[in-house]
Amino acid sequence: MTPEAQQMVQYIVEMIRKPGVTVEENTPLVSSGLIDSMALVDLLTKLEDITHLRIPAGKVQPKDMDTVEKMFATAQRVGKPRAVKPLDVPPPPRR
Amino acid sequence: MIRPNNLIAALDAAPANRPFITYWVDEDERETVTFGEFAGRARRQAAVLRNNGVSVGERVVIIMPQGISAMATFVGAMMLGAVPAFLAYPNFKVEPSKYRFGLAGVTANLRAKAVVIDEEFPDEMLGHVALGEEAKLLRVGAGREADGEKDFPMGDIASESLAFIQHSAGTTGLQKGVALTHGAVLRQIEHLRGVLKIKSNDATDIIYNWLPLYHDMGLIACFMLPLVCHLPVVMQSPLDWVMQPESTLQIFTECKCTLAWMPNFAFQFVPRRTPQKRWAQYDLSSVRALINCSEPVRASSMLEFHNAFSSIGLKKTALQSSYAMAENVFAVTQSEIDGPSGPAVIWADGQEFRGAHRIAPVAEGAAGAVSFTSSGRLLPGQLVRIASNSGVALGEGFVGEILVSGDCLFEGYYNRPDLTAKAIVDGWYYTGDLGFLLNGELFVVGRKKDLLIIGGENIYPQDIEEIVGSHPAIHDGRVIAMGVYNPNLGTEEIIAVAEVEREEDLAKAGEIETEIRSSVTSGLGVAVRTIFLKPPKWIVKSTAGKPARSTTREKLLQEHPELSAEN
Repeated sequence: MTPEAQQMVQYIVEMIRKPGVTVEENTPLVSSGLIDSMALVDLLTKLEDITHLRIPAGKVQPKDMDTVEKMFATAQRVGKPRAVKPLDVPPPPRR
Repeated sequence: MIRPNNLIAALDAAPANRPFITYWVDEDERETVTFGEFAGRARRQAAVLRNNGVSVGERVVIIMPQGISAMATFVGAMMLGAVPAFLAYPNFKVEPSKYRFGLAGVTANLRAKAVVIDEEFPDEMLGHVALGEEAKLLRVGAGREADGEKDFPMGDIASESLAFIQHSAGTTGLQKGVALTHGAVLRQIEHLRGVLKIKSNDATDIIYNWLPLYHDMGLIACFMLPLVCHLPVVMQSPLDWVMQPESTLQIFTECKCTLAWMPNFAFQFVPRRTPQKRWAQYDLSSVRALINCSEPVRASSMLEFHNAFSSIGLKKTALQSSYAMAENVFAVTQSEIDGPSGPAVIWADGQEFRGAHRIAPVAEGAAGAVSFTSSGRLLPGQLVRIASNSGVALGEGFVGEILVSGDCLFEGYYNRPDLTAKAIVDGWYYTGDLGFLLNGELFVVGRKKDLLIIGGENIYPQDIEEIVGSHPAIHDGRVIAMGVYNPNLGTEEIIAVAEVEREEDLAKAGEIETEIRSSVTSGLGVAVRTIFLKPPKWIVKSTAGKPARSTTREKLLQEHPELSAEN
């Protein structure tokens, strides 16, 4: 497991707070009911942090986030370099 | 303005060049169609359906991802005088065999003539599913839409003929199809137009929607309402929304939307899941009404949303509430839009409420007081009665079951006279919700029926109990599933308590729990928060020998104070 994947596993274990549950790179998370779909946005944000990529959520389906392995593959597939993350640029004044 | 006689006539009266649906994927991808373009696409879908043998009065089941194609197919079916119904698109969590079983049941109950799916529909979800005797499976895609003819003679659609079927719950309830006529839908929309103060012939309002179209909030408020009132709607898929709740702020800001509906949990989900440092990039001053609907309305959730975004232009009066259900087309009540304040919040004595089921108003924040948020006043033509357990009508300030009647009420569940007879008695629909009337406003306090409302979606506890009870280590029938409100989420979470067959099974509790969790998710597509495994004879039984739901719930909350500590 890469250090990045390890970091994600650690985050997930803390998130589910269930004693005795082990999470591997290929453990199903959403389809096994360990993680609710409302928590997907947190995983996506964490994935952006770890990979230093901007991941457009519209290009990601919940099934792409079902295991740690798939998350990193998804980041590779749709992630954009951080330099062009439009949301962190202050917006022009409105009105 | 001439009142249209059916939904298709209402669409045809729209200005052809006015934008209708903008489908929003993310910040750099979206598609817009005008009313004219949409009607053209719907007509082509109608031709495809007709060429496949669909005709007047026949049911068409549509299982397509949220989007313009699905909507054009729905309207296309109505153009033929056929009766469309949206079903939820298969969730990747759900096991194909379970999905096929449910699909076969629904299409058989509706006696569907056609089941329309998109080109990407996963094959394993279909297998060799028997769709009923005459149902034909049609794959529709952007490419195939053009197959149909552009124009063909349309038959006249009578106002009191069936327009479509909307389903009232997510799981077992899939078989409860609410059949609605064009007239009932148009009457509801006329009432909504009035109470929402939508200006006729003037698209100053723009609707924002991420709700699924198989849900009444998505279908009526965010598809039929803009179709009839000729308003633009900016729409995204619920899946895209849940992955990027911040898009709510982005879309309001960019598209200057004025009206939207959301279940209670979303009022917490959006501010909590959008980094605070980015709030200031957005502008919510365009919002005229953001309506809390389909889950019990919590004042604290509304306040959290307001506190987060008042500095970026959100008006306090923009946060509103409504009480709605598929069986009444949609809304029964609506709080006052553009009024001096949002919905009324009242405080009542807690003991009187719990013990005597009576509302005794007290000062705000008084010791032991409970608060309730109003769902507003009745829409024109709607009637509400509050009934005691024995069916006696109760006066203002008394809590009982909410019964609904009026000019939008459904005529029955499609093909289910058994369920209809239980639900509608003497012209009154027994909602299963508990509430009270005060000063002419309706307050909804909870559920009488054993129904869980998770993020706005209705789930029957029996469905969860059946799956949990089928695990070999669990004593079948000795399971209770319940919803426990989680104030951090603003919605209920599913808790299950089950007895093991043998006390020694408790040693393997972790393993059993994992297996149960996984089978509930693959069967129903929802996650259980906690499963409590208990020794034999733990669950309290009623005198009839069945698990007693409320007593068991109290016992569980007593033994696990961490659950109620959150309440």
